[in-house]
Amino acid sequence: MHRLEKFQIFLAKILVRQKIPRLCLIAASILAAFFSGGCGKKADKGLEHLTYRLKWLFNISVVGDLYTDVHGIFAEQGLRVTIKEGGPERDAIKELELDHAQFGVASADQVIRAVSKGSPVVVIAQLFQANPLQWIYRPQKICIEAPEDLKGKTIGITYGGNDETIMRALLSKYKIMNNEVRFFSVRYDYTLFYEGEVDLWPIYQNAEGVVIAEKLRKAGEEVSFFNPDAFGIRFVSNSVITTQRMLKERPGTIQKFISALLQGWREALDPGNKEKSVATIHQFDRDTPIKIIRQQLEATRMLMKPSPEIQIGRIDVEAWKQTERIMLEQKLISGPVSVERILRPYIKSRSNFIMLPNPE
Amino acid sequence: MLHRRIYQFVIVYLIGMTFLFLIKYVLNLSDYVIPSPGEIWHTTCHVFARYLFDVMDTLSVAIIGHILSICLATIVGIIGRLTTWVGSFIKVAAYNIQAYPIVAVAPIIFILLGDGLSSRLLIAAMICYFPLLLSFIGILSEPVGHIEHFYEVTKRMSWHLQVKIRAFENMNKLTTVIVGSATLAIVGTIVAEFIAASAGIGYSIRIALYQSDLAKILVALFLIGICTSLYLTCLEWLGYLTRKRWEV
Repeated sequence: MHRLEKFQIFLAKILVRQKIPRLCLIAASILAAFFSGGCGKKADKGLEHLTYRLKWLFNISVVGDLYTDVHGIFAEQGLRVTIKEGGPERDAIKELELDHAQFGVASADQVIRAVSKGSPVVVIAQLFQANPLQWIYRPQKICIEAPEDLKGKTIGITYGGNDETIMRALLSKYKIMNNEVRFFSVRYDYTLFYEGEVDLWPIYQNAEGVVIAEKLRKAGEEVSFFNPDAFGIRFVSNSVITTQRMLKERPGTIQKFISALLQGWREALDPGNKEKSVATIHQFDRDTPIKIIRQQLEATRMLMKPSPEIQIGRIDVEAWKQTERIMLEQKLISGPVSVERILRPYIKSRSNFIMLPNPE
Repeated sequence: MLHRRIYQFVIVYLIGMTFLFLIKYVLNLSDYVIPSPGEIWHTTCHVFARYLFDVMDTLSVAIIGHILSICLATIVGIIGRLTTWVGSFIKVAAYNIQAYPIVAVAPIIFILLGDGLSSRLLIAAMICYFPLLLSFIGILSEPVGHIEHFYEVTKRMSWHLQVKIRAFENMNKLTTVIVGSATLAIVGTIVAEFIAASAGIGYSIRIALYQSDLAKILVALFLIGICTSLYLTCLEWLGYLTRKRWEV
């Protein structure tokens, strides 16, 4: 018998014994039901409750996270995970420290900044193997074959955002002076790119990139993406994080979580499960047409698993070190943090996931 | 008046900071979540001059927006005081437009006007204009019977005399409303800068948020508080001077 029902019977016995009117019994039952909250869900019985804070809103970039939850892969591992949307004002690292969440997604620059300020965060998987943050442009209007071609162009950047960091790192690497390009402070709307006033606009290639490319194609215009990764700027994007306390006190939970999550991602990106993944995303992101989601899924697969030998969730230690170097050069952190010491990669063994020794 | 407002603000700010530090040290949070006093001091030394300039920029836009909305509210309030169809239409329109959240309207303004001064000015004016307008209509449409009766009987009443009488009799209320709406003008400007502009303290706060740098935001809040106090004191002083002049 369920806990709530037991409690209601217990209340009833007391009230009847003491001849308290039936109205009081009803009121007490309602109160008991109210305060017992989620206890009534039988499916949750015996599951370990966790909260997972994403970096951004529900869209294709979180297909694996949602797939894992919707298709019961977390539950198979004995977990009940509440997946919370991220957004510009959300910060998973802060929520982990405040214990509002046990797992989260953050970009490498967020993680490195947090570590430089003493945050006890650890990285347990790297989701995107190639950074989805790229610049969209019209090849009919400008030709970009090498970074030097950026000279004289108007480049959109979000001041303070990681696209600014990436672009400045690229310009610095190729000895392009800031006065040789024109920076434009970008906003959420793409009007100035559509109007052709800005040549290159920062965009998440697998998400908005597909939508905007489709819109421009309909208008008879072709688009291309300028990818700094292709020119040696390896700036790590979304990664799965937790805290050192979790690592110390609940290693089994981490193992179960990461095992489920990476299995979910593998299944979501498996071409055989394409329609299931598309349906999963469409369930949460109703505004994006199914046709677009299909294209977005293809683009996401290329970023998560650029080649067959790369395992989903692999932590690219060299890319993390380069991200730290870039941030140091741009004085975004006050000193080196030796980021490799907080990387805790998991690999799949024959039957389960095991944590590899720290790369340090 | 000025020093009292400033030290009262400083007390409020210090209470807020103490509360933050209490949370930080009780919950053992890192500097990433809540910066340490040392980090705040270091950040202050680093950004104070730049942020002061940004706050002055924001304040100047807010003051212009505020003046514009006072002028507009006065004109519309004078028309709206009439018990005609136009008067009631203006009231209904003001109530309805005030109900729209500015964050929903702002992106449209930025698309139409760009991210320059005009957008910031318009949003600042919009945020403080409607509360001003409603108060102005209320004040200017309320007859001051014992004075107005004399001018009406002697047939010397004109519209501008009526407005003068009502404004004079409600000068305290008008000053309070204008001072109250000044904070809205500042908030409006900061919101506009935060959403899409490329200058001002709201823009700097947005960058600090991207970098999860709470120390910078705390410095910005301190400067905003000080400058707002200065502006409010100036307005109260102007209200006091006007009252004195009219009494003479």
